[in-house]
Amino acid sequence: MSPFTGEESITSSYVMQENPDVIINIVDATNLSRSLFFTTQLLELGVPVVVALNKSDLNEKKGTKIDTEALSQKLGCPVINTVSTAAGGLKAVVQAAVAQAKGAQSVPPYLQGDIDLTDKAVVEAADRRRFDFVNRIVKEVETRRVFTKDKNFGDKIDAVLTNKWLGIPIFAVVMFLVFQISQVWVGTPLADILVGWLESFQGWAGGLLADASPLLSAILVDGVIGGVVAVVGFLPLVMVMYFLIALLEDCGYMVRVAVVLDPIFKKVGLSGKSVIPFVITVGCAVPGIMASRTIRNERERRATAMLAPFMPCGAKIPVIALFAGVFFNDAGWVSTLMYLSGIVLIFLGALLVNKIAGYKARKSFFIIELPEYKIPSFWGAFKSMCSRGWAYIVKAATIILLCNMAVQLMQTFTWGLQVAETAQASILASIALPFAYLLVPIVGVLSWQLAAAAVTGFIAKENVVGTLAVCFVGLENLINMEELVLLEGAGAEVAGIMAITKVAALAYLMFNLYTPPCFAAIGAMNAEMKSAKWVWGGIGLQLATGYTIAYLVYTIGTIVTGGPLNVGAAIGGLAAVLAMAGVVITLIMKTNKKLKEEYALSSAKQITVQIGAGS
Amino acid sequence: MKNAIVSLVLIGIAAAIVWHLIRAKQRGETCIGCPYAKQCGGKCGSGSIAADREKHS
Repeated sequence: MSPFTGEESITSSYVMQENPDVIINIVDATNLSRSLFFTTQLLELGVPVVVALNKSDLNEKKGTKIDTEALSQKLGCPVINTVSTAAGGLKAVVQAAVAQAKGAQSVPPYLQGDIDLTDKAVVEAADRRRFDFVNRIVKEVETRRVFTKDKNFGDKIDAVLTNKWLGIPIFAVVMFLVFQISQVWVGTPLADILVGWLESFQGWAGGLLADASPLLSAILVDGVIGGVVAVVGFLPLVMVMYFLIALLEDCGYMVRVAVVLDPIFKKVGLSGKSVIPFVITVGCAVPGIMASRTIRNERERRATAMLAPFMPCGAKIPVIALFAGVFFNDAGWVSTLMYLSGIVLIFLGALLVNKIAGYKARKSFFIIELPEYKIPSFWGAFKSMCSRGWAYIVKAATIILLCNMAVQLMQTFTWGLQVAETAQASILASIALPFAYLLVPIVGVLSWQLAAAAVTGFIAKENVVGTLAVCFVGLENLINMEELVLLEGAGAEVAGIMAITKVAALAYLMFNLYTPPCFAAIGAMNAEMKSAKWVWGGIGLQLATGYTIAYLVYTIGTIVTGGPLNVGAAIGGLAAVLAMAGVVITLIMKTNKKLKEEYALSSAKQITVQIGAGS
Repeated sequence: MKNAIVSLVLIGIAAAIVWHLIRAKQRGETCIGCPYAKQCGGKCGSGSIAADREKHS
C-alpha cells in the first residue's frame, strides 16, 4: 500500500480515505504468491474485497490448479476465476461485488499490527512475515505441474529475443516487418481501394455542385472533402499497423523490448522505464508522454517526456507514407529509417539533456514483470485496431476537417475578404511566407505551401497531408495506384508539382517528424514536466533537432547526389544551426560553471567541518 | 438555391464540429482523436496496457 508514483498515490489514498463500498482485487493467477501480498493488505482495510483470479486460462494450459473454494475460505472473501481477454467470469465478479457491497468484510486473515514504518529493518521483517503467511496459503491451495525454476519453452525464446547481442537486431527486423506489412504489402493495396471509393464520392459531390458557385464548390469539394479524403485514405495503413502492434503487445514481445533496450537507456542517463513511454508514443505522443509519470526520478521523467515525441506517432504515419510512397519506391525502409532515426535522436537528446542539466551517472535498477508468451488474440487485436481506427476517423472528421476548411478559406480569400486572384495573394500565403524563408535551407526552394503544411501540422500532424492536398492542386490523389505507377522511379511528376527533390522531400519529412509535436502533446509535456523552463527547453530542443537534422540531410544529401545546392540558403542554414549550437554550448558551460562552484562550496564545507571536528 | 444549400452545409459542418469538440472537452476528454481511444477512460496514459504492466514493476 506504499505508493511510489503519482497515480499509485491517488489510488492508494482513494482506497484508504474515500471508504469504497467494495474493492475488486485483480490478481495474476499465474503468480499467486507475489499477488496475494497486496490482497492481504487490502483485506486489512476492512473494506469488502472480491478477488478476481485473472489469467486462469493460462493456468489451465500449464496444469496449475488453484482451489478457489479453499482460497476463498482462507482469505474470507469471494475468489472467482477470470479471463480478462475473453471477459470470462466478469458477470460472476460483478454479482459477487454487488453482494459483498451490501455486507461487511469478515475478519482479515492476517494482521500486521502497529510497526515503526520509519525503521527499515522492522518494515522488512514485517514484509517477510507477510510473505511467509502468503506462501503458506499458496502451498495449501495451489498445485503446480510446472514450477518457476523449471526452464520452459518461453525461457528458451527469451534467451534469444532478450539476448544482449541479438535483441536489438531482432527488434529492428520486427519493426521493419511491421512497417513493410502495414505500409507496403497490405496497407497500400487496401488504401488504394478505399481512396478509389472516396474519390468516387468526391467526384459525385463535385458533379452535384457543377452549377453551383465555383468558389463554394471548391471549398466544399476540394477543401473539405478533398482534405479529409487525403487523410482518411491512409486509414488502412494506420489500422494495419495498430493491428500488428496490438499482436506484438498481446504476445508479450513489446515488454521484452523494454528489457532489451534498458541497458542502453541507462548508459545515456534515462530510466529503463523510459522505454514504456517511447513504445506507447508509437501509437500517440499524448499518452506516451503521460506514461512517463511512472518514472520516480524527476529529471529522468522530464527528460523522457521531452524526448518521447522523437518517436514518430500514429499521426505521423500518413506523412511518412505520403513522402515514402511518392518519392521512394520502397516505402518500408523509409518508415524503418524514420523510427530508427527517432531512437538515435532520443539517445543523442538524452546525452544533451544530461550535459545541460548537469547529470552525473549513477547506478539504478530496472524491474519489470515479463508476462508469459502466448498466442496473441486476433479478435482482441482486431478490436484494438477498430477502436484506434475509429479515433483516427473522429479526428479526421473534426479537427482535421475544421483545419482543412480554415486552410481552404485562407487560401481562397485575401485579407480584404476578396477572392484571391492568385494563390500568392491569399491570406494563407502571406502567413506562411515568413516561415517559408526559414525552410529554404531545408527544401532548397521558397514554398509557402510546404511552410503552411508544416505550420498546420502543429495542430495535428495529419494536417501536413491535408494542407498539402489543399494547397497543391492535384496532390489529393497521391496514393492513387495509377498515379503511383506513373511516378515510380524518379517521382518527377510529383517533384514537379511540389518543386522539390527527393533529398529535399526526405529532409522536409524529417523536419515534420522531429520538430515539436502537435499542441496536445505539448500540453501533455507541460502537465508532466510541471516546469515552464523544462517545457520551453523541450520545445527548443525539438525545434533545433528537427531543423538541424533536416538541414544536414538536405545539404549533405544534395552534395552527395550531385544535385543543385542553393549556396546562399545553405550558408544561411549553417548560420542558424551554428547559432542553435552556440546556445546549447553556452547552456552547457553555464551548467559546468555552476557545478564547479557547487563542488567548490561542498569541498570548503567539508574542510570546515573537519577543522571544526579537529579543534 | 444551390449556393445557399452549400453555404448552409459548410456552416452546419463547422458548427457540428465545434459543438462536438466543446462537448468532448466538457466530458473531460483530454485527447480527442487519441488512438488509445476509450482504453484510458479519457485520462490519457493512466490506463494504457503498457502503463498498467509498468505499474506492477
